[in-house]
Amino acid sequence: MASLKWFYSFLRKYRFYMLGGLGMTTLIVVLSMVNPQISGMIVDDVIHGGETKKLLPLVGLMLLTTAFISILRYCHQIIYEKASQGVLYDMRNRVYRKLLQEDFQFYNRKRTGDLMSRQTGDMDAIRHFVAYTIYVSYQYALYFIFALTMIFTINTKLAWAMLTVLPFTLLNTFLQSQKIRPAFKRNRECFSALNAFVQENISGNRVVRAFAKEEFEVCKFAVENDNYRSAQIAASRVWMRFLPVYEILAYALNIILMLYGGYLSIKGEITLGNLVTVNGYLWMLNSPLRMIGWRINEIINFMTSLEKIYTTYKEEPKVKTPPKGLKKKRLEGAVEFRNVSYRADEEDIVMNIDFKVEPGQTVGIIGATGSGKTTIMNLLCRFYDVSAGQVLIDGTDVRNMNLYNLRDNIGMAMQEVFLFSDTIEGNIAYGRPNCSFEEVKKAAVMADANHFIQEMPEGYDTIVGERGVGLSGGQKQRISLARALLKNPSILILDDTTSAVDMETESYIQKQLKNINNLCTIFVIAYRISSVKDADIILVMDGGHIIERGTHEELLQKGGYYAKTFYNQYGEVPEEISAQKGGNGYGKK
Amino acid sequence: MARNKYDVDEVLEDNFDAGQLKRLVTYISPYKNKMLGIVFLMLSSSALTMLVPIFLQRIMDFCIPQKDMHTIFIYCVMTFFIACYAALSLALKIRTMSVVGQNIVHDLRADLFEHLQELPFSYYDSRPHGKIQVRVVNYVNSLSDLLSNGIVNTFTDLCNLFFIIIFMLIEDVKLTLVCLCGLPLLALVIVFIKKKQRRAWQIQSNKQSNLNAYIAESINGIRVTQSFVREGENAVIFNRLSNDTRSAWMRAQKYSFTMQPSVDVISSLTTSFVYVLGVRMILAPDATLTAGILIAFTAYISRFWAPINTLASFYNSLLTAMSYLERIFETIDEPVRVKDAPDAVPMPPIYGKVEFENVSFSYEEGHKILKEVNFIAEKGVTYAIVGPTGAGKSTIVNLLARFYNVDSGRILVDGVDISKVTLHSLRSQMGIMMQDSFIFSGTIMDNIRYGNMEATDEEVILAAKTVCAHDFIMELENGYHTEVNERGTRLSVGQRQLISFARAILADPKILILDEATSSIDTETEILLQKGLNRLLEGRTSFIIAHRLSTIKNADCIMYVDKGDILEKGTHDALMEMRGEYYKLYMSQYEFLKG
Repeated sequence: MASLKWFYSFLRKYRFYMLGGLGMTTLIVVLSMVNPQISGMIVDDVIHGGETKKLLPLVGLMLLTTAFISILRYCHQIIYEKASQGVLYDMRNRVYRKLLQEDFQFYNRKRTGDLMSRQTGDMDAIRHFVAYTIYVSYQYALYFIFALTMIFTINTKLAWAMLTVLPFTLLNTFLQSQKIRPAFKRNRECFSALNAFVQENISGNRVVRAFAKEEFEVCKFAVENDNYRSAQIAASRVWMRFLPVYEILAYALNIILMLYGGYLSIKGEITLGNLVTVNGYLWMLNSPLRMIGWRINEIINFMTSLEKIYTTYKEEPKVKTPPKGLKKKRLEGAVEFRNVSYRADEEDIVMNIDFKVEPGQTVGIIGATGSGKTTIMNLLCRFYDVSAGQVLIDGTDVRNMNLYNLRDNIGMAMQEVFLFSDTIEGNIAYGRPNCSFEEVKKAAVMADANHFIQEMPEGYDTIVGERGVGLSGGQKQRISLARALLKNPSILILDDTTSAVDMETESYIQKQLKNINNLCTIFVIAYRISSVKDADIILVMDGGHIIERGTHEELLQKGGYYAKTFYNQYGEVPEEISAQKGGNGYGKK
Repeated sequence: MARNKYDVDEVLEDNFDAGQLKRLVTYISPYKNKMLGIVFLMLSSSALTMLVPIFLQRIMDFCIPQKDMHTIFIYCVMTFFIACYAALSLALKIRTMSVVGQNIVHDLRADLFEHLQELPFSYYDSRPHGKIQVRVVNYVNSLSDLLSNGIVNTFTDLCNLFFIIIFMLIEDVKLTLVCLCGLPLLALVIVFIKKKQRRAWQIQSNKQSNLNAYIAESINGIRVTQSFVREGENAVIFNRLSNDTRSAWMRAQKYSFTMQPSVDVISSLTTSFVYVLGVRMILAPDATLTAGILIAFTAYISRFWAPINTLASFYNSLLTAMSYLERIFETIDEPVRVKDAPDAVPMPPIYGKVEFENVSFSYEEGHKILKEVNFIAEKGVTYAIVGPTGAGKSTIVNLLARFYNVDSGRILVDGVDISKVTLHSLRSQMGIMMQDSFIFSGTIMDNIRYGNMEATDEEVILAAKTVCAHDFIMELENGYHTEVNERGTRLSVGQRQLISFARAILADPKILILDEATSSIDTETEILLQKGLNRLLEGRTSFIIAHRLSTIKNADCIMYVDKGDILEKGTHDALMEMRGEYYKLYMSQYEFLKG
């Protein structure tokens, strides 16, 4: 029911459209009674009665009403369509905005294809309901009530007799809506599953090709495709049981008219003329009966989809911007982690993280795969909330800061580069869509991306594929770096940003980073010693803990994990280098 | 490479034509007998139900005046049986047609999907994925009703129309002709708006596709969006795209909605004509028409227009469907550039020798990536490919796996030209690990097993152990049965790389290609990994692209690639001796030590 209330909050805006439309529908129903009357008059007065003078005016009137009805019909359809598109537009936008607010936890659980189904297939059921089901149901209800009233004025007994079909109809309606609900639910689920499967197949197309698993994918797809088909067929099996009942009930009206009407007529309680009139109204009674089954289907389908959309919509993100969060145009960039722990899925990801960074310092983070390096950065950006402890920026807990203000001050080049299907310029300017081309270029130069971008046939206007396909790993990383640099952030996070670029490029980028004009705290996560070596402080992580900390020299002296990694990567330093360095102990101990 | 993005409409190369309609028929024809059966059933049912008004007529004309309840009762019983027949045929129609309709879209979707599996990377690279997806799922779906009930109803209506016209002709030829005059009029209306209506629906499907692409991208790129605080901007773009869809839809519907009023007006016009003409004929001195016939005739007129009305709405849906169908067929028609040669034979079990003979390649005309590359790789040898980013390192291995066809030259594996063997037999003997380690939603076990479906759990675990993934997997709540999703978000990038590595190894490849496959793995793990690999790599030819020189140094042979060619080739020591490009590259890593 909550979902219906939610739905009404959208429909409300268009209630005058809907009311206007329903008014027109009423007028159409009334006017559609006129033409049969005119035909009757033509037959009675003109053809039988020979009043030929009446013919042309009657025909004219008939044409006029038709023209009028046609215009009305066109207009009311447009009105319903407008209302339905309006509802759809508002709802889609609202859901989209909500999706943008959902936190990482939400996205960790959801499949892309499922979320997409909410915005496509399920939305379509809403559209159909508003644009079609509502008014058609209303129109046929009007016919039904109108005809019934007319029959009541003719003969109450006959009218009551005809009303006996109503309880059966309602019972059937009730049963149908009960039985069809699970079928539609399964239907929507299968649709979602199919969508999700296709989405993954397309995203993973490279892996599929690389493993020559096309046939396997086709087989797996066949399962989803078959499931969806059988769900659809199963649903039709359900309504197959109910729709014929309406058909029989519709004919029951004919039988009642013949039997009871005939009986009443024989008894003299009703004239033959009355019987003819009732017969004329009969279609208005039995076509609604024939329709009702289909409408029930549509209504239940609508409710199922609405429920699905609403369930997704009402999921509240855990990470939310506080009502009066701190807003500051530019943060200084002092970062402090106070005994921070983070737990997810019953698993400790990081524990007792404690460190302090002054504005403008560079922090290197190095450590084993899955040791929690990225998690720390995610906590800093408040993509997740800490389970214990505090993350402070400029002395303020990030949970007390305006979320958008916080993230606006952080530039992050993520480990897994996601580029949008847009031009390279558009991708670099993602954080600042209105900045000038010069700024974009400057950021690209700093990230050593300008060179290769300019070599492309269309330069900065080259459209890159989704996820940046078509670019090499190193190229993607550099675009992503330029994107982060362009934000001119107080805190810059480079999460494994240079793993796929060669050494020369890396050292060039490092030099550029030193030239950043504004004071900027930099976090560098890397596996290569060369990436973190110059940092003011290096944190070494393992199993969610900081196991070593210090400068490059200090850590080398310590002879722990860091030193081991160093020698693993560089082995024996070539003589000529250690000679230049004065042989100060870089060689393996 | 002309690429499409979310807010660019796709151009349509081929418009919908008769040929495509014929193709559609091939999907429908397997069910034509069933459909015909249903058409007959519906016709028989509608013929029977025509009796019901006649019963009532008879009751009123004879039974009531004669006070004959008995006959009335008999008519009622007959009506009841007719009702049962009608109900049964409706049930049968629903049952049959939903199966037929679902089968048709099922087949169409299966063909589309199968074809998509054959299309090369470049197809996927050149457009947003949401635009491909909308075709497979949403577009195909929208056809099911049209291709089942739509067709059957059309045939039923056409038959009804045919019978009614015959009845009308029996009553009066002249008046029938007047009635039929309405049809060309209607045709005129249809022709008049058809072009605009078609175009409007095409635009609508384009806008829908754009919106879909944007939704998909927004979800996949949500992390970047949130980290760049782009929510506001994106919402504006989304509103715009959403509004485009709305306007396109409204525009298209404005054309479609003209259909029914047109039918109404035309039917009303012809009816008026019939009245005027009919009355004149009655009153004419040599009366050719009786009042009775005219009345009967006017009763037919409404029956004549009813099927036309439903035909018109079928036509409307067909026009809508065509804009979806042409997209579906366009995808199915997308040429498969990399495919098995007609006389392709399966690649015999690979021994492991690889040769590049004068291989040239370009992704785009005139933008050569590789220029006449030549090299021979021996069985069981590990080759490292190094060079600046964008030098063509990935291209070399992509060509070896025949993800693209060479422009000129040949690639031979064990002396066999790879373009002469089936793709499946070639690639299934290679283990390829790419930069993006894609994880499918499912368990970790399933993800690793993707490399070899027949592998037992033990073999999967062994592969995971080999690549040092076992420990962290065991630490997850459900071990190997932990569910991960396609964005693989609960795993770190390095962990994902290890899982894809295990996947590649499980395939037991004769040629192993690692394209920056270990860039996000820490050095310690990498060393352990290499120890495990050394055993594994024995007898296998492998190509490793990496930037970490410690990874490269251990290779048997190093190829330095730049400017589309292999500039240097040899062992680490030999290349260091040469003091060429590799030497420079290697030394550059110590640059920072100079402080």
